Amino acid sequence: MPPHDLAAQLEQLHAAAFGWALGCCGWDRPVAEDVLQASYLKILEGRARFEERSSFRTWVFGVIRRTAQEARRRAALRRWLPLARLFLGPQEADGRPDPEAALAHAEETARLVGALGRLPPRQRETLHLVFYQDLTIAEAATVLGVTLGTARTHYERGKRALRRLLEERE
Amino acid sequence: MTSDEADRGLHDRFQALRREAARGTPSFHAMLAPRVAPRPQPTWRRWLVVGALAAVAATVVLTLGRPRPHRATLVDRAAVRWEAPTDFLLRAPGAELLRTIPTFTLNGRLLP
Repeated sequence: MPPHDLAAQLEQLHAAAFGWALGCCGWDRPVAEDVLQASYLKILEGRARFEERSSFRTWVFGVIRRTAQEARRRAALRRWLPLARLFLGPQEADGRPDPEAALAHAEETARLVGALGRLPPRQRETLHLVFYQDLTIAEAATVLGVTLGTARTHYERGKRALRRLLEERE
Repeated sequence: MTSDEADRGLHDRFQALRREAARGTPSFHAMLAPRVAPRPQPTWRRWLVVGALAAVAATVVLTLGRPRPHRATLVDRAAVRWEAPTDFLLRAPGAELLRTIPTFTLNGRLLP
């Protein structure tokens, strides 16, 4: 796909991609922006190639998810191996929500974000993809790189856990 | 509350979050604009670390890889006669007759 077509398709997906990047980065806006920018560059520079094995949207979401994982790993490496800072460059955001930088949420959405933060990552990601991004469970499975059955299990368990957490907080 | 209603409730909460996030979405073009590059680390510091690691690795290799002087080991073979635990199976009755020289006597005197 030519770069200008890629850029046009990415632009159409931009709002959803930013929401997904936020979800992958614990709703930390600066980290999500860095991750999303790195993902766009990967795609536009051809370091990540769309091979049409899934829809363009699920593929882009997969790239963002992997980029967020890489950012978390780099941040963890920096925390545990001080020498790595010399090679990896200056400190980047580490994927943990920074209260100062996090999005200012309304009370209701703040409760949802707080409850999501207490779910296991796979459950949180599955619920985000289904309820926030309106993906099917099969599409969510593709983004997460798991089987449909596994995604369904994360979805059901995640829903139960999220409802319980939201009830606790109400 | 039925399962469908509960799902709808969750969906509504997520959609409220989505609307809130959409209001703060940065522009696509601003995101692609080159950002201020992070200050590069001084090259000499990297080379210093690489040099230190190489020195440590070389020391380890030289220490462990150096051939050690050969020491002769003296073994007193007479003191270390080894006997297999199954040797007794090879002992046949009267086998000592085959390993000794018979003596012949005449009237109590040993014959030459």
